[in-house]
Amino acid sequence: MTTDFEPQIVGFLCRWCSYPGADLAGTSRITYPPSLRVIRVPCSGRVDPLFVLKAFQDGADGVMVLGCHPGDCHYVEGNYHARRRYALMHRLLEYVGVESDRLLVDWVSAAEGGRFAEVTTEFTTQVRELGPWGGGRVE
Amino acid sequence: MSDKIQAKARELLESGQVSCFVGYEEGTRGRVRPAFVYDAQDAERLIWDDRCTHNLTVYLHQFQGSGREEPPQVGIIVKPCDSRALNVLLHEGQVTRDSVYVVGVTCNGVRVNGQPQDRCQRCAERVPLVYDLVLGGVPKTVGREDYADVDRLEGLSPRERLAFWMREFDRCIRCYACRQACPACYCSECVAEQLDPAWMSIAIDLPQKQFFHVMRAYHLAGRCVGCDACEDACPMDIPLSLLNRKIAREVETLFDYRPGQDATTPPPLATFDKEESIPL
Repeated sequence: MTTDFEPQIVGFLCRWCSYPGADLAGTSRITYPPSLRVIRVPCSGRVDPLFVLKAFQDGADGVMVLGCHPGDCHYVEGNYHARRRYALMHRLLEYVGVESDRLLVDWVSAAEGGRFAEVTTEFTTQVRELGPWGGGRVE
Repeated sequence: MSDKIQAKARELLESGQVSCFVGYEEGTRGRVRPAFVYDAQDAERLIWDDRCTHNLTVYLHQFQGSGREEPPQVGIIVKPCDSRALNVLLHEGQVTRDSVYVVGVTCNGVRVNGQPQDRCQRCAERVPLVYDLVLGGVPKTVGREDYADVDRLEGLSPRERLAFWMREFDRCIRCYACRQACPACYCSECVAEQLDPAWMSIAIDLPQKQFFHVMRAYHLAGRCVGCDACEDACPMDIPLSLLNRKIAREVETLFDYRPGQDATTPPPLATFDKEESIPL
């Protein structure tokens, strides 16, 4: 495995909590790995599991879905739906051979800039250790 | 047994209670095929034996019409597994209960090409869950779910599992027979053929096939009743039930839910519990 492998990570960030959280990390000048490509979504409940599948399909090495803490959803119940969906999706992906460490579903609030950086850094390290995903193209 | 079904179908058609009766008839090469009987005289075509493997509830959609007028009354034969699928359709508002006359049949398991089906050996329900009339004797055997095949696959490393699934998916010819045979796959526009946004390319390459199969399985999460119609329909013998049953097991452990047990409980992905703690 190459030591200089830098994973490509797609992050689906909820517009009300995690995206402002990432913003706060930026304005607070907290560094986090540049491997993250952020996609802003209205709510973690908007992240159709197909988005995650599509990201893996198109070569992402890891996918993060970050939303508001349970109970804090701007739309009241979006993240409760997301929680159930990803509990299942996570297990299904692992079953078809996508290591479970390649998908992260977590909650980051708008005030948690520091935590956003921590979560991202930790996840990047995790994916870096797994190596490239390769879009399922194995021989 | 066949004569009882014929008599009931004849009675329903003659009285005008149903305009069509959906059952099974003798097909070619010793096989059985679905039959649509519109005339009481044709009721004699209907049969029932252990070759009747098709899940007929998949045909109920075509009788529901545009929704502007009352759907025609239909009679249908359901096995216990089919009755669970009917419950799913009833819950999702795809079929109205009073538009179908359900002839339930007790079932000791069906055979394909003379072979007893795995799903029947694992099936604990031998009497339909929803019916207007139930025919057949007291079932002799009851199966037990064991998930041994799912366990075996879970015992492999992720890379080995990936290799296994890629080998299986590689045979897929994207004929969508699995989707067509599934009563719960009724979207008028399927993600697999949607053009805007085009989630999936029409290319028959491995990543697209993998995408299709994971998508198909996930869309049935908490809705698949395990009738294995998809697997029976697959011309390439892809073990789709291995995917479906994995999800079924997770749904049962995480949400204590088995699809199709009744027509009122919402499936787990359509609802939530604020207080629950689910390991992500």
